[in-house]
Amino acid sequence: MSEGYNEMELMTVIASRELEDKKIIYVGTGIPMLVTSLAQKTRNLEITPIFEVGGIGPQIPTLPLSVACSRTTWRALRVADSSEAFEIAQSGFADYAFLGGAQIDAYGNLNSTVIGDHDSPKVRFPGSGGANPFASFAWRTIIIMNHEKRRFVEKVDYITSPGYLDGPNSRERVGLPPGTGPYRVITTKGTFDFEEKSKRMRLFALNPGITVEDIIDNTGFEIIIPKKVRQNEPPTREELRILREEVDPYRIILGRGEG
Amino acid sequence: MVESQLIEMKILDQGNKFQEPKITPNDFRDWVRKNKPRTMEDKTMDAKTAVKKFIKSDDIVSISGCSFVRIPVAVLHEVLRQGIKDLYVAAGTRSYDVNMLTDNGRVKHIDAGYIIGLEVLGLPRMSRKIVEQALAKGELTITEWDNGTMAWRHKAAGMGIPFMAVRSMMGADGFKYSGAIKVECPFTKEKMVLVPALYTDVALIHVHESDIYGNARISSGAVVEDWGKVRGAKRVILSTEKIIDTKDIRKNSDRTFVPYFYVDAVVEAPYGCHPGNMPGMYYVDIEHLTEYRNACEDITGEDLKQYYEKYIFGVESFEEYLEKIGGKKRLKFLEDLEFLKVKPGGNSK
Repeated sequence: MSEGYNEMELMTVIASRELEDKKIIYVGTGIPMLVTSLAQKTRNLEITPIFEVGGIGPQIPTLPLSVACSRTTWRALRVADSSEAFEIAQSGFADYAFLGGAQIDAYGNLNSTVIGDHDSPKVRFPGSGGANPFASFAWRTIIIMNHEKRRFVEKVDYITSPGYLDGPNSRERVGLPPGTGPYRVITTKGTFDFEEKSKRMRLFALNPGITVEDIIDNTGFEIIIPKKVRQNEPPTREELRILREEVDPYRIILGRGEG
Repeated sequence: MVESQLIEMKILDQGNKFQEPKITPNDFRDWVRKNKPRTMEDKTMDAKTAVKKFIKSDDIVSISGCSFVRIPVAVLHEVLRQGIKDLYVAAGTRSYDVNMLTDNGRVKHIDAGYIIGLEVLGLPRMSRKIVEQALAKGELTITEWDNGTMAWRHKAAGMGIPFMAVRSMMGADGFKYSGAIKVECPFTKEKMVLVPALYTDVALIHVHESDIYGNARISSGAVVEDWGKVRGAKRVILSTEKIIDTKDIRKNSDRTFVPYFYVDAVVEAPYGCHPGNMPGMYYVDIEHLTEYRNACEDITGEDLKQYYEKYIFGVESFEEYLEKIGGKKRLKFLEDLEFLKVKPGGNSK
């Protein structure tokens, strides 16, 4: 991008602004680690990160490479195990969780398992990991995705982690804890929420330089466009400095947004 | 109470990969009674002997740690060298470890939570292609779970029970491709998912410290699913960075992860998790995993074959492997990296 930051940096900064203070946050592999770390450093938030294999409340010193690596238990409050970490979420302590995927639909259902037939797939991805339990238990999930038409599809090939399934009350109908579900989708083009009645994805804010037409052209389902659309402010110098110098100095994740 | 008044437990749905468990809680109890140690015997042996004695083809196997953290690489090298194949692999949060097995065609079934990827370090292309091809040919099958349900399945086995009731997997397609059952809870009338306990034939567990009997410690970092894995396995091969005195165990017994009677073999394996991260000891060898991932970029499979030849099949022992990856100098660098004394990317080879 010509404005002096790449798309990965933009999404990380926008997502970090969505985090609320005094919350418990489940952090997965990749961008979520950057987002959490950036929010802690730029906004001085009092948040408790939990990693799915046991790290509870660490003071993350440098970008973790795995949800289990020693950075995820660095000066932690407790080191637990996987079942305990998921049980904490199952019991209602997970305020936020981050998700991503290869495909998403209008209801925020995500696919990170297969393209094509499950048993003989065209493409096989790593699968759920912790995503499905996060999507099941967290009060609010924040989804971070590259915004491309082939990823924003009418119907995902496979629901790895449930969003609002096929509309209102469908989560409750299948037995998921009430009051949970996708909260925001943060993409390379903008921020999205879910319309209260239909539970379909709605444009919330446009990223710098992006138009409503860009959104419609790059979305494979009918997206709700509200009358008034907000604008996401570009990353500040300070946000970028901290992100580049302190959060991911070796550009392990940020480097993916290049070119 | 007359029969008509009894509450019924309603089955609401079931995954299409439902299967009867290979090992039931009673099978497991019988095995424990007949086979597990009741006295503190010296169980130290080398990886070669441990693998020969305690793993065989067709076994259901679980592996310690997560991704490329606290994984039993030294023992896995022996599994590969000894030609063990047709494994049924428990794969909650797996990565480089299970890739080593699938890359070499040693796996017939995966119970999947997370597979193939190297998390932040990317998705190895050739490993993915091998899995896709094996699925297409019917040489490999995958049953879907997730990291939560896999942890609970190990935990249930560790508890000696047949299943665990959880609230994950509802609404997800993972349920359809799983062996789970959905029920109406007889107490609350809420919908619940029952996931079957996963008893295994063998668990390969790497820890920081153990005495010669298998009283063992995980001294730092996440425990992952390992408590359930150890307690729900018929046989446990425990590799350890260090052998410690039993006096030390008794003095600090609150730090013991598992006592001796779960363990069948104790293998001393310093740096036995390389290129993985052993929390509190040495960090991930990013350059080595990058070398692996780069070898996976060649989708003819030739580079990957050479990688395994160079590091595993072309060496006799894990000690020889450690020399190949850069020996003491490299390992010292990874120790310093763990404690943030040096920066990654430094050329220490």
